[in-house]
Amino acid sequence: MLETIAEILLTTIAVGLVTAGILAILVWVRNLTRKLSALRLFIQIVAVAVIFLGLIIGPFGVAEWSYLGSAPKDIAIGKNIMGRPYPDGLSVPTFACYYASGRTSTCVVWQLQSYIFPYWETSSTYLTTGLERLGIAFGLLVVMSLIFGRFFCGWICPFGLYMDLLTRLRKTLKIRYWSLSEKANQALRQSRYLIIAAFLILSAILGMRAIAGVELIPEAELGRYLEMPFCQVCPAKPLFVLAEGALGYMNLDYALSKTIGDFALTGWYLTSINIIILGVVTVGSFKVRRLWCRICPLGGLIALFSRFGPFKKLSLIKLTKVEEKCTKCGICKRVCPPQVTEVYDKKGGDVTASDCILCFRCVEMCPYEDCLSVEVAGKKIYKSKNWLKEEEE
Amino acid sequence: MASEIEKGSRYIPEMSKSEIEELGNSIKTSSIKVMEQNIEKMKKTWPNRPEAMEYFDEISNFFGRREKEIREQKEAGKKLIGYSCMFAPIEFILAADAIPVRVGSGWYDAAKLGDRIMPVEVCPVIRSTVGAKMVSLSPYLELSDAIISPLTCDGRTKLSEILSDFKPIWYMTPPRVKDDPQSLSLWKEEMQVIKGKIEELTGNKITKDNLRSSIEKMQQATKAFRRLQDLRKGPPVITGRDAMLVNQTSLWDNIERWTQKTNELCDELEKRVEQKDYACPPDTSRVMVTGTPMLWPDSWKVPNLIEESNPKGLLVVDEQCSGDRILYDPVGVDEWTMSDMFDAVSERYLMASTCPCFTSEQGNEDRVNWIMNRIKEYKVDGVIYYVVRGCILYAMEYARIKRILDQMGIPVYYLDTEYTREDVGQMKTRIEAFLEMLEARIDI
Amino acid sequence: MTISAGIDMGTQRVKVVIIKDEQVLSQTQNFLGFEPTKAVEQAFEEALQKAKLSHEDIQHVTATGAGVEMVSFADSTVSMMGADARAGACFFSSARTVIDVGAEEARAVKCDERGAMLDFVVNARCAAGAGTFIEAMSRALEVELEDMGSLSLKAERASPINASCVIFAESDVVSLIHRDEPKTEIARAIFDAMAERVSSMVYRLGINPDIVLVGGVAKDVGFVASLKRRLGTELLIPEEPLFAGAVGAALIAGKRAARRQQ
Repeated sequence: MLETIAEILLTTIAVGLVTAGILAILVWVRNLTRKLSALRLFIQIVAVAVIFLGLIIGPFGVAEWSYLGSAPKDIAIGKNIMGRPYPDGLSVPTFACYYASGRTSTCVVWQLQSYIFPYWETSSTYLTTGLERLGIAFGLLVVMSLIFGRFFCGWICPFGLYMDLLTRLRKTLKIRYWSLSEKANQALRQSRYLIIAAFLILSAILGMRAIAGVELIPEAELGRYLEMPFCQVCPAKPLFVLAEGALGYMNLDYALSKTIGDFALTGWYLTSINIIILGVVTVGSFKVRRLWCRICPLGGLIALFSRFGPFKKLSLIKLTKVEEKCTKCGICKRVCPPQVTEVYDKKGGDVTASDCILCFRCVEMCPYEDCLSVEVAGKKIYKSKNWLKEEEE
Repeated sequence: MASEIEKGSRYIPEMSKSEIEELGNSIKTSSIKVMEQNIEKMKKTWPNRPEAMEYFDEISNFFGRREKEIREQKEAGKKLIGYSCMFAPIEFILAADAIPVRVGSGWYDAAKLGDRIMPVEVCPVIRSTVGAKMVSLSPYLELSDAIISPLTCDGRTKLSEILSDFKPIWYMTPPRVKDDPQSLSLWKEEMQVIKGKIEELTGNKITKDNLRSSIEKMQQATKAFRRLQDLRKGPPVITGRDAMLVNQTSLWDNIERWTQKTNELCDELEKRVEQKDYACPPDTSRVMVTGTPMLWPDSWKVPNLIEESNPKGLLVVDEQCSGDRILYDPVGVDEWTMSDMFDAVSERYLMASTCPCFTSEQGNEDRVNWIMNRIKEYKVDGVIYYVVRGCILYAMEYARIKRILDQMGIPVYYLDTEYTREDVGQMKTRIEAFLEMLEARIDI
Repeated sequence: MTISAGIDMGTQRVKVVIIKDEQVLSQTQNFLGFEPTKAVEQAFEEALQKAKLSHEDIQHVTATGAGVEMVSFADSTVSMMGADARAGACFFSSARTVIDVGAEEARAVKCDERGAMLDFVVNARCAAGAGTFIEAMSRALEVELEDMGSLSLKAERASPINASCVIFAESDVVSLIHRDEPKTEIARAIFDAMAERVSSMVYRLGINPDIVLVGGVAKDVGFVASLKRRLGTELLIPEEPLFAGAVGAALIAGKRAARRQQ
């Protein structure tokens, strides 16, 4: 009883603090060209805290996970879906990495890879059938994509926060950014669909462990690792694992022990390929804004279910433009982190692009009143303003 | 060889000193008279004209206070950089601690002089500038240390040549197609060159800090400008001609002082909105002018007719580079690094322009959108499409604009005139008929 | 019931019309000569006498035309285009375009069924599109002005007149006479040239039938035939086309008087 009261109290305080923070930013930041960016940074930090809530609220030192470190493996929510256990937790289309401790939800890419083959298996840990799990994960992906679109990418994804912090560092050092050519962006954009398709197929094949009686992977442990082939190369995983290790929530020795090969080519928590890619993306996103987002296969999945075909009409959140008010000044194109050009090129109406991470920087910086706006379920909740009006000098 | 034969200036023939002095003085006197008359007319039409306008009346006199100030600043070592078209990067000029000033000619009498050299088919603004140069009429042109000349139309291309005999001319070649990927990179290169030239002339480097402060100064000016323009959306607290005067003085005035004075004027006008103190009856027909620039002082011919005829009209907004387009678009800077500021300044001058010298796959849609948007926001009743004879670009876009305005149900009249006072009678009959038409439609 | 007067101060003549509601009571015209203000007053007096009315009976006087400022006793003014539109709609209910060819200026007005002006176009720069052209040419041909029209109708073709300007046209005509070109054909060429100018002006406005032709020149059969050919449509011509402007002004005066009564 006391525990419930304590929980409610803590939740209320947390919610209160977050609301206070939001209001403080909305009031205190008078410069209209920075207000929304400040709010977004705050929400991103809150989102990271919420995703890794287990690191904050415990219980700590859970016996069965002691070899991992001091934090619980996870306090995932959504473990029970209508009475049927769904042990990996709520699937979210963002990098809420499965392998990190203390998380409340799970990266949907991990789940798709894990459940895709053999989907008919049930085991002691998974009491729902594989097909049900796959359906739930996929269903949640589609629903969240339709409701939020790539809002996850701009406001919630911790890896996005990582890249934005790198950008802020670069800005403080007054170093200029690099822009990729339209051709390069196009190539990255199209390759992400190939990447996710390839990895999902690979996951299915490797999950089989054998094709027509020929054993694919002799070692069971290696097989377990390779069932999630994308996680072997994903740059987000090592970021979280190394960060948690540094903070003491994860035992890095244990993490490194769970690897195979001379250079830790494959592994559960970390692989050398993971780290190399993280290094490349870090260096790249220092100079190129939101570099990973342009090739992110998870982003591609969301885009697939919110920006194309019938999904486009059903999608709830979009950017719209009033044709007459646009003077084609090009500010929106210049300030866009993933270098989206549709907002500029398209004449009017729905101008959301598949690359757009819905960070709303373009709406913030557009100097023509009501030209660009963010529409949620048909209602315009944020419009471009004459930001010259409110600047305090 | 040309260089053997050509001695002295290449276009303008030698004139005797006495002739130059005589003509110069007579045009100057008549110009001062026209300026005074226009101000008188504005005062007469608006008896309750705010005192804040007196500052602008003073600055509007080319030969008065502002000329004196510039001379003093030049003696103190500052450079004066003129520009003939609205593509010159004012922020760079300010950052290098030089004085930017627009050198466009609005003198009808000077056009007659220019007729000696240029045939009458040439744009009158060009002929007038040539004429003004012949008698060294314009103080700003004469005092310039260099002139930035964006070659946006044929007339300006050749004008630069003519003027280059007397002043260093810095050419800028804006691409005619805005949307091509190579256009922006070409334009940025042009901007780099100009930046270098400004730094060389003034001896001051354009740094992150001074560029930032000049961008912010211009943003403040845009803020004040938009504040004034927004006031014109509502009931008539300011006549069109007075607003145009305020707009145009920003082209040669000290920009910080102009910003301050415009804000003072807006404070007064906002009070008047509450007190319902209007410059003319609120049901006066609201007219928009679009087309070639109307430069002070002589080009007040048509606005005078619009606002003084019977029935009266009110100029609420315009789509001209001598009015609403001067300071409407701000420079939008994302990261205050040198490269981003440079990109932002370059893009603002190229992309935001709705001049018909541009085209693209959809044509000059920017201008169409601008006009449609203004008509809705300012509740415009009718449009006067003003073209000075010789401007092919504006003349040709009329066919498109007319069809769009017909679709919108907005009457538009093609008013084609020249740098002359002799057709005032004809202009009057047409403008009066047009305003009559607008008035009658209000009854419908 | 309103009694109003309309005064059309043209460039050559003044026309006065007095109406009661929509009925014309009297109309007069006078050449302006060297004393235009006197001419106006005389014409007005004459019109009053014909209608057996006094100055006080007229509730509203509206003036139109080029010399509108000279009518000191006018209560209000209206543009010529507005007056033409109103008159055209009054004469013919199907009128949608009114072409007014005056002595020195030609104009065309687009109107709706009530006579409200929707759009207009003016040709004031080219004298070859106005009445004085015929006068000048009749002098060159040594033909009476009134006979020019019927003369031209006798021709089957038009002589070639090359000049684009009326000044040159005059010397063209003289040389054509010396070459023994028949006068009928020269006359027709003159009317064709004029119709060309007027019709190109109308094309800028758009051809919207029915088209009414007013102004002094509308009575000239030669011009009417040429214009019909050029435009490719029928033309409606009122009984007294010269007085159209004044009638229009008078109708507008009546409307204004009625409004003030309320």
